Amino acid sequence: MDAKFRKVLALLLVFALVAVFAVGCGGGEEEEPADNGDGVEAPTTDVKAAMVTDVGGLGDKSFNDMSWEGLLRAEQELGVEIRALESNEIADYEPNIDQLANAGYSAIFTVGFLMTDTTTAKAPEYPDVVFGGIDQFFEEPAENQAGLLFKENEAAYLAGVVAGLATLDSGLDDRINDQNVIGFVGGMDIPPVEKFEVGFIAGARSVNPDVEVISLYAGSFDDQAKGKELALSAIDQGADVVFAAAGLTGLGSITACQERGALFIGVDADQYETVPGSGDVMLTSAIKRVDTAVFETVKAVVEGTFVGSENREFGLAEDGVGLAPYHDFDSAVSQDIKDAVEEARQAVLDGTVTVPALRSEL
Amino acid sequence: MLADIFTPDLFASAIRMATPLALAAIGGTICERSGIVNIALEGMMLFGAFMGVIGTMYTGSPWLGALIAMVSGMGLALVHAFASITLRTDQVVSGTAINILSLGLTGFLMEVIIGHPGTTDPVARLMPVFNINGPTEGVLGSVWRWVDTIVFSYTPIVYLAIIIAVVGQWALFRTRWGLRLRALGEHPRAADTVGISVIRGRYSAVIVSGALGGLAGANLTLEQVGSFTENMTNGRGFIALAANIFGRWTPAGSYLASLLFGFADALQIKLQLFRDVIKIPSQFFLMLPYVLTVIVLAGVVGRAVAPAAVGKPYEKG
Repeated sequence: MDAKFRKVLALLLVFALVAVFAVGCGGGEEEEPADNGDGVEAPTTDVKAAMVTDVGGLGDKSFNDMSWEGLLRAEQELGVEIRALESNEIADYEPNIDQLANAGYSAIFTVGFLMTDTTTAKAPEYPDVVFGGIDQFFEEPAENQAGLLFKENEAAYLAGVVAGLATLDSGLDDRINDQNVIGFVGGMDIPPVEKFEVGFIAGARSVNPDVEVISLYAGSFDDQAKGKELALSAIDQGADVVFAAAGLTGLGSITACQERGALFIGVDADQYETVPGSGDVMLTSAIKRVDTAVFETVKAVVEGTFVGSENREFGLAEDGVGLAPYHDFDSAVSQDIKDAVEEARQAVLDGTVTVPALRSEL
Repeated sequence: MLADIFTPDLFASAIRMATPLALAAIGGTICERSGIVNIALEGMMLFGAFMGVIGTMYTGSPWLGALIAMVSGMGLALVHAFASITLRTDQVVSGTAINILSLGLTGFLMEVIIGHPGTTDPVARLMPVFNINGPTEGVLGSVWRWVDTIVFSYTPIVYLAIIIAVVGQWALFRTRWGLRLRALGEHPRAADTVGISVIRGRYSAVIVSGALGGLAGANLTLEQVGSFTENMTNGRGFIALAANIFGRWTPAGSYLASLLFGFADALQIKLQLFRDVIKIPSQFFLMLPYVLTVIVLAGVVGRAVAPAAVGKPYEKG
């Protein structure tokens, strides 16, 4: 093979690689505005809203997808032009934000706690753009910057009440064993996940003071195999109900529950709906309405009522978090459990119970 | 506390987690023994994991899926072989390009084939090989629980990996094929003078490593979890490279080194149970397998000598 031919080939190979890389990794396939098909003219506005995903990316069946849902709703109801850029690694956060801001997007949502610092650094650079930081607490938010936080602990508290009572109720399902143990699988040990863990433990203990909660962390949000091993380990220690707040890692925990015969509590979305074939173990889900937070913020921008310089918290009272239906377990879950959940919800709403958010408050 | 840590499941978990590492590490061993550096194992594993799921989705058989995973790994390996053997590109650059290509390609194909990013729907999985009803009562029962969990609880590729390690070890040091392979990596010029084709030998070694990388991916998707998630290999290909070095470029050594990493991972999961007792943050435990990797690579465990000609393109003449 002569040298010239070799060079041409090498060049072609490089082009092929770059082409695939650009399509696959570059993120941000532009989403076409959906035709709502019913002939009704959608309202129009010149506001353009976009989001930058966390490394989990779209399709995480969790908070990135939920943010996108919120944008879709804004598109349909408010006529906002929308777009999502995916981050494959932490180094993508900045260029993605720059790209959107320079393309004229006036509301940018940065999704995930890990983007806190980048959002804070970028907000002053683009004063005309509104920044909404999902799961981000800002020390001194700028006028065009708002942290959108959730009281994950309140949703998890209700899930904990369910799990704490379910593990005692052998009539609920034959997968419930006689040990008073439940499990928690976390993605990374960061504040929103800690709030899930702590709320879950507090809820379980409120109805079942002697319950043992096994908490395990995977260290990543996209390692299904690790999520499975963690759940298997918890089940091996006697856990019969496992709650996973771990993004895609949690999908592996579902597999573990199906294999070893344990029940599962989903997170963020109603995972009965979003994870196909999980109905046989999905007791309920601790929901975090990221979509509501995103939609409300876009709406405020469109109506000109957006207020920055603050951290907004969405809890049970704001309908920002909640508990999903029991679906296939609806008839198996006893009225006592349902009543206890309702009671706990009321207690949180009344303020008679303050759900702890930090491990040190337990 | 010790009885809670050292359960049969700890060891089973270690072997399960070691399997994808071991397969990729043995692939790395064979590849590097022939003189080609293969840091593309991560990409081959990821691509195999993806294609295994797609194959299973279309054929309905996880066995065929595993086969497709291996063939896909071989396809990527062919690219690496072509770039590094025929075009004599820097092997590390080619390997890095393949890792990036694989991450992008699987994400792109997700959109094309599945229609959405993130994770695929679950597919049929390879189930445990044995299902023996042993005694459950008394001393015999608890002995059986250990034996059943540690020896008989695994899916096919887990056993296959052990067989591959043993056969690979024998083949590398006891057969003519193995001798020739090692010659390619130690002194390709000498091998060439006695009439061994360096090009063909290296091509076949790289392709075998691709097949093993693909099989490692199939273990992740078709045995452990049953669906594909973007970037689900999570650096396992790189840990496998470390295992290959720690195992001193031998198949059996690679397997045992992978087992050590798998055990470290399984152990950190068990130790997390006692986070409240020993008051250490969970990140500390998560760090353990990686600390082990760094210690191993820093040479604490003894000097490992790579094949002499590894990484050097061979030019006939």
